[in-house]
Amino acid sequence: MTSTILQTKHLFKHFDGVKAVDHLSVSFEKGKITSIIGPNGSGKSTLINLLTGLVPLDAGEVIIAHSLHFTRVKSHEVAGFGLTRTFQDVRLFEQLSVLDNILVVLTERGVFASLFETHGTLHLAQAEEVLKKMGLWEKRHSLAINLSYGQRKLLEIARVLAMTRSARTGRAADIIFFDEPFAGLFPEMRKVVVSVMKELRAEGRTQILVEHNMELIRELSDEVVVLDAGELLAQGVPNEVLAKREVIEAYLGE
Amino acid sequence: MEYLTHLAVLVGIYSILALSLNLVLGYAGIISVTHAAFFGLGAYTSAILTTVYDLNFFLAALCGVLVAAIISLFVGTVLSKFRGDFVALGSVGFNVIVWSVFLNVQELTRGPLGIPGIGRPNLEFGIWNYEFSSNVSFLVLSVIFVALVYFLCQFIEKSSFGRALKAIREDEEALQVFGYRTLHYKLAVFVIGAGLASIAGALFASYITFIDPSTFTINESIFLLSVVILGGLASNRGALIGALALVLLPEFLRFVGFPSDIAAQMRQVVYGVMLIVLMLYRPQGLVGEYKL
Amino acid sequence: MDIVPQLIANSLIAGSIYAILTLGFNLTYSTAKFIDIGFGVETAIGGYSVFYLCKTLGLPLYFGIFLGLFCSGLVSFLAYRFIYKPLRARKASGTVLLIASLGVLTALQALVAILFTSQFQTLSGLIQANRVFELLGGTFTAVQLSIFCTVLILSVLLAFLLKGTLFGKAITAISDDEEVAKIVGINTERVMGEVFFISGMIGGLAGILIGFDTGIEPIMGLSWLLAAVVAAIVGGIGNLYGGLVGAYLLAFAENFGIWKISGEWKMAIAFGLLIIFLVWRPRGLFPR
Repeated sequence: MTSTILQTKHLFKHFDGVKAVDHLSVSFEKGKITSIIGPNGSGKSTLINLLTGLVPLDAGEVIIAHSLHFTRVKSHEVAGFGLTRTFQDVRLFEQLSVLDNILVVLTERGVFASLFETHGTLHLAQAEEVLKKMGLWEKRHSLAINLSYGQRKLLEIARVLAMTRSARTGRAADIIFFDEPFAGLFPEMRKVVVSVMKELRAEGRTQILVEHNMELIRELSDEVVVLDAGELLAQGVPNEVLAKREVIEAYLGE
Repeated sequence: MEYLTHLAVLVGIYSILALSLNLVLGYAGIISVTHAAFFGLGAYTSAILTTVYDLNFFLAALCGVLVAAIISLFVGTVLSKFRGDFVALGSVGFNVIVWSVFLNVQELTRGPLGIPGIGRPNLEFGIWNYEFSSNVSFLVLSVIFVALVYFLCQFIEKSSFGRALKAIREDEEALQVFGYRTLHYKLAVFVIGAGLASIAGALFASYITFIDPSTFTINESIFLLSVVILGGLASNRGALIGALALVLLPEFLRFVGFPSDIAAQMRQVVYGVMLIVLMLYRPQGLVGEYKL
Repeated sequence: MDIVPQLIANSLIAGSIYAILTLGFNLTYSTAKFIDIGFGVETAIGGYSVFYLCKTLGLPLYFGIFLGLFCSGLVSFLAYRFIYKPLRARKASGTVLLIASLGVLTALQALVAILFTSQFQTLSGLIQANRVFELLGGTFTAVQLSIFCTVLILSVLLAFLLKGTLFGKAITAISDDEEVAKIVGINTERVMGEVFFISGMIGGLAGILIGFDTGIEPIMGLSWLLAAVVAAIVGGIGNLYGGLVGAYLLAFAENFGIWKISGEWKMAIAFGLLIIFLVWRPRGLFPR
């Protein structure tokens, strides 16, 4: 039994005449890990940027949980619908401490509510749990800018794990985009990330992964979406999709 | 003694200006070169209300806060549409426009003649009436204001609001994805900063008892920028240190024995060299927590 | 008497000075990619150099102007060499460079004031007679006509420099992409130093012309610079020829703006224009 939690219809985006995402209709299943693959410039990151409102879409529609339809995605609203993400180029709040990088996604988001925050201890406990899990608790007072590359990647993942939709409900995000979370990681750190993703799947959270490493894709994915030149080339279970001739050609043709 | 009291009052007024600019510049990372405009709006509003309409100083200062808040809300909305360093340029523009208003709307501001004879603050409860006419009593009043503003800034810094401001400074776009309407935060801090600057303006007008447009130029905004950058961005303590150092600097130069017209220029040389050296070797200022 | 021809004449003269300054500003902006406020002080350096060399020392005028241009170029080069270059080397943000250049302006203009007092000075005594011409209902002085010619000559010279020489091709390459320019073997630091020297000379030239037309004072730099920045943004920042259009547009807006109201509003009009452009057309009339 499957159910769609996130869907796009005829999503379209072009940059200076180049179609980055070309009338893309794709759907993501609840509770699964869906990998998006495709050659460089095939529109993977643009798709995530469109879905999280970082880049405005030119045309098309985004549908969350069947009921919420959007033709304009506002980035400050997506968190409220349970979406969150990491960034391909690791975007941390550089001159904030590791701890503050986590706290900022736990606390009140409104101007007045944040001035008179009342859940300090609760948030601190939640941040501690996440940072310990990612092995960053010892580093909590360092500035993010002073972390090693691997630690920065892990902190971004920690931030995604910690994020609540709003401080009031304390509900976690349930659609998570990972934009190349493994790139440049040492094997032992990679293992940490793999186990985190498996845990999230066990909790029933939806994950959408952009990745190049085929081994990891086979290990983690329930589904694979193949993009080429902004269009959907194939979608299905990994073994079938990765065996398709046009998928192999798209990669070899790179 | 009278001289030291005078300096202390000035340090107090500039501390309020530095603390409020630091909220905007140090925490939220908005390069605002228009702070003197809000300083001036507070000064002119309270000066006009106390001299022409005989309003009590404290009420007049409150009106000044309102005026500065409303105008800063508008200015902030416009500035929020600019990218990067153009915010700095746009804010210079607002400073020039507000200054032109002080200079040219003579029916209201008396233009270059300025407004003389501004009264000192007084408190009235029934038959009991106290006027802060001596410099010492005025010093006490300013210290109380500085303390209040300082604690407000500390409160903001420790709150989740303050943390969000710092995150905006680091990566506004990323913060939005985590559910923040960053525009509201930036406007809020801009308005708070302007409101506090206008209080400094009211105090200044009432202390000197005379104001004219020449105090509220871009050069004053640049001076305030230097104060905050020297003391240290994103540090309230730094703002106080910066105000102390740069208000006392000209006195020091005079003390060393420069003739007064040379001393005034030496002061500018020192500010300029200081900005250069800070940018080259210590972009976080003396005790700052944030490197530009 | 009809005032419109004179307003047009005034706009053309003011616009020409803005145009010269905007050319200099855009030249550094398009290569070094930061808002160099220190550029403004070159006007005072150029103007006061001529003032000192010709009026005080009594050197021949053309020699003085030549040395004045050299001085302003040199100051601009030194600011690059010892301040902007190290900052750029460690990838400092545009804000840091902007604040450092603000420091350059503040320090140098005060230094000029210490050397020459902050009094208003004019260079007009250095030329025998400033003839007045009548042209299409507006009056021009000889100095003002030569300002107008300077813009033409300077634009042609710069066009030749940028399009016709190897040095110009290097500048274009750096302004397109500094990293790529480095890879293809351009000595970007050297070129940039030369660009700062040239733009400093252009700033000095404007200052000297202002000195002959109206007069100079040490703090003149900031307001002239701000006018140049507004003109540059209106024309499309970094676009040399767009800047020319921006300069004249700004001058016309200012001069016709103060037709019915007090001249003190001039700067407010300029910045009103800036804000309108930043809100509705942030990339200017002719984006690069």
